[in-house]
Amino acid sequence: MLTGAGTAAAGRSVGGRLLGMRHFGKAAWVGSAMLALPLIIVGALAETVLPSWGTRLATLFLIYVVAVLGNQIYSGNSGIMSFGHTSFMAIGAYASALLTIAPAAQATALPHLPGWIAALAGQPLVVAVGAALAVVLVVAVIFGLPVARLGGSAASIATLGLLVITHVVLVASTDITRGSQTFFGIPRGVPMWLVLACAVAATVIARLYRSSRAGLGLRAAREDEIAAGAVGVDVVRLRFGAFVLGALLCGVSGALLAHFLGAFSPKDFYFNLTFLLLSMLILGGITTVSGAVGGTAVIVLLVEVLRRIEAGGAFGPVVLPPVFGLTDIGIGLVILTVMYRLREGLFGVRELDERLGLDEAHTVGAPVSAAPPAAAAGVDASLSVEHVGKKFAGLTALEDVDFILTPGEVVGLIGPNGAGKSTLINAVCGIVPPSSGRVAIGGAPVAGMAVHDVPRAGLGRTFQNIRLFRNLTVLENVCAAANSVAGAGDDPVAAARAALDVVGLAGQAARIAATLPYGAQRRLEIARALALRPRFLLLDEPAAGMNPAETDSLMEVLRRIRAEHRLGLLVVEHDLKLIMRLCDRIVVLDKGRQIAIGTPAEIRADPAVIEAYIGRRRAAAPAASPPAPAGQGLPAT
Amino acid sequence: MDIFLQQLLNALSLGGTYALLALGLAVVFSIIGLINFAHGELMTTAGYVMAFALAAALPFPLAIILAVAAPVLLAVVMERVAFRPVRGASGTTLLLTSFAVSAILRVLFQNFISARPVPVPMPAALSGVINIGPLHLGIIQSISIATTALMLAGLTLFLNRTVAGRAMRAAAEDFAIVRLMGLRANGVVATAFAISGLLAGVAGLLWVAQRGSVDPLMGFLPVLKAFIAAIIGGLGSLTGAVAGGFLLGFIEVMLQAWLPEAWLPYRDAVAIMLVIAVLLFRPQGLLARKTVLKL
Repeated sequence: MLTGAGTAAAGRSVGGRLLGMRHFGKAAWVGSAMLALPLIIVGALAETVLPSWGTRLATLFLIYVVAVLGNQIYSGNSGIMSFGHTSFMAIGAYASALLTIAPAAQATALPHLPGWIAALAGQPLVVAVGAALAVVLVVAVIFGLPVARLGGSAASIATLGLLVITHVVLVASTDITRGSQTFFGIPRGVPMWLVLACAVAATVIARLYRSSRAGLGLRAAREDEIAAGAVGVDVVRLRFGAFVLGALLCGVSGALLAHFLGAFSPKDFYFNLTFLLLSMLILGGITTVSGAVGGTAVIVLLVEVLRRIEAGGAFGPVVLPPVFGLTDIGIGLVILTVMYRLREGLFGVRELDERLGLDEAHTVGAPVSAAPPAAAAGVDASLSVEHVGKKFAGLTALEDVDFILTPGEVVGLIGPNGAGKSTLINAVCGIVPPSSGRVAIGGAPVAGMAVHDVPRAGLGRTFQNIRLFRNLTVLENVCAAANSVAGAGDDPVAAARAALDVVGLAGQAARIAATLPYGAQRRLEIARALALRPRFLLLDEPAAGMNPAETDSLMEVLRRIRAEHRLGLLVVEHDLKLIMRLCDRIVVLDKGRQIAIGTPAEIRADPAVIEAYIGRRRAAAPAASPPAPAGQGLPAT
Repeated sequence: MDIFLQQLLNALSLGGTYALLALGLAVVFSIIGLINFAHGELMTTAGYVMAFALAAALPFPLAIILAVAAPVLLAVVMERVAFRPVRGASGTTLLLTSFAVSAILRVLFQNFISARPVPVPMPAALSGVINIGPLHLGIIQSISIATTALMLAGLTLFLNRTVAGRAMRAAAEDFAIVRLMGLRANGVVATAFAISGLLAGVAGLLWVAQRGSVDPLMGFLPVLKAFIAAIIGGLGSLTGAVAGGFLLGFIEVMLQAWLPEAWLPYRDAVAIMLVIAVLLFRPQGLLARKTVLKL
């Protein structure tokens, strides 16, 4: 029983900090149960009514489910395809087999086995699987550290390296593994209760992980890594956690598969298996646990049919010759079909339970917490930008920018194209660290922090080009942010709903973010930043591309935020009318230098600003005409 | 010192082959973001065509031309048939598509040619050794080094001096802009695949010349290593891919020479581990392309 329960317990205790597996929500439990039920039925049928080939197939299906879910936890949530998790199956297989091998068989099969390993032989399967997990854990941690720092295709190829390394090591370590020869002598067959317990435990772990804080953070990073960092998601740490958790599931599956087969060699855990598991994962839909389980079922059946055809023989009146490799071609075609026609897989991007609308937090009628997102402590601290400069390889993008933003104040940041406005925003929130000067909140420096720590220091931001987590729901978008600042007793979901309420999107909580209209997407970004309970909010061109009605509703939202939450707002905007109406003070940048700072009235009259905007000749126009005639100079309020 | 020089020559020869493969992968990746798993099958194709051409007693130069032309053609066909439908999709989609294409091609090789190695009877003149002072340089090895140098020089000229080459470099920087400039996207992509096919073909020939046979899995391991070389160089950087290829060749040869004998079977594992360890310090690779972050 150690395996099933043991893995769950391990997931939970490690989960405490590293994985952040808290706050599953009732829906995640219901979802787990919905997916576990068919597995239990399959297991029960296999034990009672199915013929022996059916039982064999059902066992294989349940073993594969564990491995595919191991892949899903890492690849599905992070969006990084892993070719390396099969190697954890290999490690689980060999480590457990070395422990369960009968001492008599050991002497024949492995005469040169080092004494200390030889002495361990003859353990029961459950003990062996548990011990194998320890080995898998060590390897996964060692390898997860560099891989977690990589993203996208580079990470995929690094996991491919792991697969090759493991294979080479297994083949080369002939004294321990019999090299490329078949490993034999272990008790054949695995009890159905054990396989079923592992499959159910894996399903529950994977489904709960997906809804956990860590799972949500990782999915957010999958959609947009930069935005995830800006809402406080520590992407590298979460990738590492998912990599290791997935590896553990694969290790269990490998150990079970080894004993199911009874005899195996390194090539059984190499590319063909990887290919098979990936096809199961993507056919169902890589982003969901439902898809992983469903895809596994379909492929297991398909492969069984293809294997029978492959072997040749008579099918009714038709006699077929044996076709070598038909299974591989079949799987290849399945993958191509999914990629060409059905990119999100059979089950799409939402879990079954999510489709049924079981999650109360997403439903419109759920109570909205009355308390608005309260600003963090230390309310009176100011955001000071002190002599900030930024050079890009000789090009000076910013030079000596210096101003203070106090709570409740709205400061506008304007300047012609290329003035350095976005560079300044990025320097303030740590994405592009400044080359000189410093940024501090209440005297504590911010600019040197890791990007994902900046939000916790009290700084939220939006992006010039909208960066939402497109395939997540509106509520999930905001929760990803609320999670990263939630303390022990806080309810991040309530905080997220409150933030949505502020921007008028509470009724859209269950919608997929990418399906929102443009103006609503901008407002969602603001809600996401608000959910960080920031003391200061940096808005990078919030009105860009909006029509007048959308701009007005944005203005309304910004006024409310300012009035109700006493936030300091730093607004970059080209819409000068909006800036003049909204801001208490305005900072003007031109060619990286801060050329003016003052109230809207002062800025409107400042000759340097007019020169920067309209040009020297116009600014030096005859004194007879007023300095900034309406409609020609800077717009009036 | 002589031993070191000798090993350096070996590293140059092996690393050159990896460099050609990695470069072929990088040319395609830099433009459409595809990591082409089927690159190894292009290499294998060159080997098979060479084997059949020599078995059919075609003249040696003609055999070489055919063996290099076949993977070029196959690469272009592959792009048209398999990869164009998913162009612009996520890196994962592209990766899986090529993974499937590669598996299907391998099974086709196994069924329609043979699962077992087919001998490639290279001319006997190629098996000699040139002695330069204390150094022994196999003729095939020297041809390999010379060919690599020639290919790299030729590709550099192509990329810098011709319109098509400049278009490709521009496409590697920003494909969308290149299309706005009025260059045909399909043409640029097809050229990229043709070049990657050419590089794979040449690498495949160098590979079979040293081994004397070709089998369905021949291209698999070298291309896996070339992937890793390309990552180390910085995916998408052409110079990085070449540097990564030579680095991997150098590490492998040096391990082969200086690893204790009991460790030799682990050589590939150690080499890949060393290379991945580089990523701990340079997660973006050695010569990562600087991407402009537009926020």
